[in-house]
Amino acid sequence: MAATDPRDSGAATPEATPPERGKVGGVLLAALALPGLGAPAVYADSAPEHATIAYKQLHYQDSQSGLQRIHVDAPSLYLMTPIGANWSLAGSAVLDVVSGASPRYYTSVSGASHMFDRRIAEDAKVTYYRSRSQFSFSASHSKEDDYESNAFAADASFSTEDNNTTFNFGAGASIDTINPVNHIVVDAHKHTREFLAGVTQALDPFDLVQLQLGYSIGNGYYDDPYKLFDNRPGKHDQGTAVLRWNHQFEDWGSTLRTNYRYYRDSNQVHAHTIQLEWVQPLGESFSVSPSLSYYTQSAASFYIDPPNGDQNRFPNIPPGSYSSLDQRVSAFGGITAGGRVDWIISPHWSTNLKGDYHEERAAWRLFGQGSPGLVPFRYVAFEFGLSYRF
Amino acid sequence: MNGDGGDTLAEFAVMACKAEIRVAGVDEDVARRAIDAAVAEVRRIEVKYSRYRVDSVVSRINAAAGSGQAMEVDEETAGLLDFASSLYRQSGGLFDITSGVLRRAWNFRSGRLPEQAQLDALLPLVGWHLVRWGEASATAPQRAVELRRPGMELDFGGFGKEYAADRAAMLLFDAGIRHGLVNLGGDIRIIGPRPGGASWQLGIQHPRQPEGTIAGVALGGGALATSGDYERYMEVDGRRYCHILDPRSGWPVEYWRSVSVAAPLCLAAGALSTIAMLLRTDAADFLRSQKVAFLAVDAAGEVLHQGL
Repeated sequence: MAATDPRDSGAATPEATPPERGKVGGVLLAALALPGLGAPAVYADSAPEHATIAYKQLHYQDSQSGLQRIHVDAPSLYLMTPIGANWSLAGSAVLDVVSGASPRYYTSVSGASHMFDRRIAEDAKVTYYRSRSQFSFSASHSKEDDYESNAFAADASFSTEDNNTTFNFGAGASIDTINPVNHIVVDAHKHTREFLAGVTQALDPFDLVQLQLGYSIGNGYYDDPYKLFDNRPGKHDQGTAVLRWNHQFEDWGSTLRTNYRYYRDSNQVHAHTIQLEWVQPLGESFSVSPSLSYYTQSAASFYIDPPNGDQNRFPNIPPGSYSSLDQRVSAFGGITAGGRVDWIISPHWSTNLKGDYHEERAAWRLFGQGSPGLVPFRYVAFEFGLSYRF
Repeated sequence: MNGDGGDTLAEFAVMACKAEIRVAGVDEDVARRAIDAAVAEVRRIEVKYSRYRVDSVVSRINAAAGSGQAMEVDEETAGLLDFASSLYRQSGGLFDITSGVLRRAWNFRSGRLPEQAQLDALLPLVGWHLVRWGEASATAPQRAVELRRPGMELDFGGFGKEYAADRAAMLLFDAGIRHGLVNLGGDIRIIGPRPGGASWQLGIQHPRQPEGTIAGVALGGGALATSGDYERYMEVDGRRYCHILDPRSGWPVEYWRSVSVAAPLCLAAGALSTIAMLLRTDAADFLRSQKVAFLAVDAAGEVLHQGL
């Protein structure tokens, strides 16, 4: 329709009366809420620049036989900004303050060394988006008093014409430098190369399955410099296979996320994880997501059980042979129960609260015996997040 | 060129429509510069939200449908998605920006109706309730949109032109223009009245006479938009099937030949005229509740109007 003279038409030309002032309907209110259509002063000559800033606070506390152990309070900051139509840049920084004893191993009961450590980590990621593919490159750096890590990674993903299948590939490398305060080693290095490939397939509108395969090759210093009798192979290769299945329940609007992960490494550790998460939206701005997972692993080939299951006695280790008394490479099973609540407060503000309870016990191992003489290990972690978009 | 009475008129094609910007009360070079910026803004919006361009925001969101991956969107897109969400709610689910997928079954040039089976296969992909929108969190702080089923599509065509008209008018106002209008394919946004305060005389297209108007409207501000069954349609066995599809059934609406709405923003006027077409008998009550002026032409050619 053009702006024409009404006299062209033989039809009635009713007098226009402006809409009543002070009474506006919901659709107009919704239109007025748009960032580019508010008050005249807002109308800049180009699309509004925007960015997002987010703050997170992590609180972690673990425990073993009633001892107060590692306690972490970590604030983090995240910033994301687009560059042009097809690029984005994201960066984050974390400051951890760690205090307490490092995880307790049965050999170090007599003197859990006190730790007070500070970690500063930054990372940046740049992503280029195409219609059916995206490419990203990321770099990260992390530094503690005794440990420095630099890592790089590149990822790409491609979707088929019907969007039902997506393939992704990735490769990364990291170089770590270890300078323990006890000077057991100086400038020890660890090099890791990592490769990843996966496929995601939509079976129907309600079911999505994904297979991800990963392999990493590591060389260098893997010992825990603060532990007695910790002497590990200088080569550490790891393989993982993850199978995911997400199912959406149409009636309730909820989603069940399941995954199974198989892990195997060159130290003969085999591990299985099963995880279930239920995402339940409540109205438009709330969602609640309880989750449960079970983990089990076999012991590393060099893990040494305490003699007769007595954790106060040191084992007899032949000099020069590989060994570790680290509970993390023993045989055990673990359960994590947790959940998160998300709340979108307004178009600008959102917040979430996340909590996890985790417990590990030798007796909970599947497919074999758990390592003897271990004290159950537990932790609780809470995370609070708040983000603002502007 | 300088139009009558010192008007500066620019005519151009955009979003597959004829468009014009008319400006008065300023020197022509000032007007030209302002118009160039406004046209650039309209083209920016066209490119950004076009379904036909693989690099558009909409194509990118649609390409990720069913992948389980939410696509982060910028503030402008977020605002439009909030608006779409609000329209869905306020229209009782009739205004649904996921219904564009039904076009796969409807080809208005073919003269053939789709098979019911074709529509039945597409209807599970229609529904704003299947779009996950706004779940920003600290771990994923930018607002993101996710189409939960493979094959789903968003289409901003239901209000893209109207939004562009409002934005263009805003830019012109910002450039100091106080008199003029933006007309994008019949969706009109007034910048301000004629110099001296007189209203602009606007015509409303006759739904059955391509060269005629059915009514004239004088507006000095705000916006006027019209939806009708005559823009894209086909006739099969003497029955008219128009491009405005009911998202619940997948079939075209038949009740009003056209509905025109005047509202302060073109975005609101356009959305309200489309919702009114979809509401059939309830249209007039709905438009009254929205406090807007309207003029509707029913299937018999009778004109119902209020405030216009």
